[in-house]
Amino acid sequence: MLLEHDAKELLAERGLPVPRGELLRAGQTPAVPAPAVVKVQVPIGGRGKAGGIRMARTPEAVVAALANLTGMTIKGHVVRACRVEATVDFVAEAYLSFTLDAGPGNIRVMMSASGGIEIEDATDDLLGESVDAELDTVRAAVDRLAARLPESLRAPLRDAGHQLAAAFFDFEAVLLEINPLFVAADGSWTIGDTKLSVDENAFPRQPRLQRVIEANADLYPEAALKLEQGFDFVRLDDNGDIGLVTTGAGLSMQLIDELLARGRRPYNFCDIRTGQFRGDPARLIKVLEWIAAGPSIRSVLINFFAGHTDLGEIARLLIAALAAVPQLQVPVTARFIGNGLEKARAIVAEAGDPIAIETDLERAIDLAIQRADARENADA
Amino acid sequence: MHDAFIAPDVPVIVQGMTGRAGRTHTLGMRAYGTNIVGGTSPRDEDVGGLPVFRSCAAAVAATGALASVAIVPPLAVLPAIVEAIDAGIKTVVTITEGMPIHDAVAARRTVARAGARWIGASTPGMAIPGRMKLGFLPNVSLSPGNLGVMAKSGTLSYEVCHRLVARGFGQSLWVGVGGDPVKGTRFADMLPFYAADPATHALVIVGEIGGDEEEALGAAMLAQGFTKPVYALIAGQAAREGVTMGHAGALIHGNVGTVATKTAALTAAGARVFTRIQDLIEAVAAG
Repeated sequence: MLLEHDAKELLAERGLPVPRGELLRAGQTPAVPAPAVVKVQVPIGGRGKAGGIRMARTPEAVVAALANLTGMTIKGHVVRACRVEATVDFVAEAYLSFTLDAGPGNIRVMMSASGGIEIEDATDDLLGESVDAELDTVRAAVDRLAARLPESLRAPLRDAGHQLAAAFFDFEAVLLEINPLFVAADGSWTIGDTKLSVDENAFPRQPRLQRVIEANADLYPEAALKLEQGFDFVRLDDNGDIGLVTTGAGLSMQLIDELLARGRRPYNFCDIRTGQFRGDPARLIKVLEWIAAGPSIRSVLINFFAGHTDLGEIARLLIAALAAVPQLQVPVTARFIGNGLEKARAIVAEAGDPIAIETDLERAIDLAIQRADARENADA
Repeated sequence: MHDAFIAPDVPVIVQGMTGRAGRTHTLGMRAYGTNIVGGTSPRDEDVGGLPVFRSCAAAVAATGALASVAIVPPLAVLPAIVEAIDAGIKTVVTITEGMPIHDAVAARRTVARAGARWIGASTPGMAIPGRMKLGFLPNVSLSPGNLGVMAKSGTLSYEVCHRLVARGFGQSLWVGVGGDPVKGTRFADMLPFYAADPATHALVIVGEIGGDEEEALGAAMLAQGFTKPVYALIAGQAAREGVTMGHAGALIHGNVGTVATKTAALTAAGARVFTRIQDLIEAVAAG
């Protein structure tokens, strides 16, 4: 999901009406005059309820709100920047959204005369249709839904719906929600808040979207890292004590669940994609460096279920990577299973056994935990 | 039942057969028993002596192939599916990671119009253990048996099935549906096949956070009166809203697609849901 600020800038570039606003980090000076709204920029909904949106009537209040909000944590996301935005005059707040309905592969168009609140709470008057993923079909649905709204909202919602439907397809979006959509006394409309979820897989033919991520890489750490490196690494717990070097999205996620179920604090998620190593330890070195930077790391757990990759080759790359990251001074446990296991054992033994090898995942988890505890006791 | 879903000896072509991955998986599938009859490629390179064709139409005309495994780059997946369907292929398996979601939407429509079947976007494929596989499910986790397996995650299903096989429990039909938000075959689509199959005694579902597939499966189990035991594992308890972990489909928006909603829907339909792998293994073993 893009940050509200970026979504609004993208929509403004298409000529859609967006209030004047700017993205500011802590300590930066606002150019938007007060009164203004200061909104945390994190990729989740419900920011208002979570205390992440402040109304500031004076320039001093804007600066104070900016200072207060940056650095706070909302649903696990640290606030690194806020959007400061001009206020808007309106007589009605409506709701409009386009969602990719994943099951049938349709587009769901939704509309409501009462926007501005959590839409889950307003299902009573939420109108919706799920239609074929074609622009004309979606626009026809917009027309049908708008016709069911109070008369003063019909024209603005029809116009907004037609323009935003085109934006949805052009951006290859998964979700485009406008809530609230402000409607003024003269029938003009403005985008109050928006959620825009895009598809990273489409970036090779959506260079504008890719540039959004690259321009604010610190605000999209996971997406930027994936763009740059070609694999996934997510820091889950800054004080986690077990670093994970794993491959496969599902098994890597599950390993985190298994550690949490044992009351442990895994440091990171990682889907390193062993199939793309091509004989180069660079990816392993990167991941080990990031893990070594964790302040509380006491143990590293590697899990490679080698359906096709050769564990001998993996072991060779791991030994090279460990040598390249001497700052990582904690025990390393690897669960290896699959092709080339014996070769991997021989390579690790020849290197002086810097890695403890297990073939059973449950035993490997237990060993990595024991070694973290032993490390903690030694440190104490 | 295998024939109702796919015949074990169905003639198969590989689209993109001469690439690095194409070659490896073509030979791997053939060694496992799959009836590979040829493939397509712009280049005439030898892959185990199999005939190479320039197009699906030529390959189908010469071999009578009814199934295809496409091993092509992400932006070439949709054209490959369209080409296969236009040539008369009835089952397409795509294994590529990174197919754009709007391409998947278009692919679904193409496949549905032709009355064909698509397993993908990104999946390790499917297998009738001991007979054939389409894709690259690892042999070490495959064994003939009575569990119907469906999985969003390749690696997690390898782990689960490897442990089950070690305990003597193999699979009747294993379908990797993939971790994409929009896909060709969803959990619920497979339910009637497993219900009708006498070789399937129970289901093992490897799910994960995001989307509504597990919820839809629970609803379908209730609607269809599915009575075989169902054991489900759902990965991703630790996921934060708004952060993708590896699979594009594994993304939580608000209160949709969480472990809680999936567990509730499956449990209501009589399934047993687990958060630890070994708990599921022990439950299956205890029958």
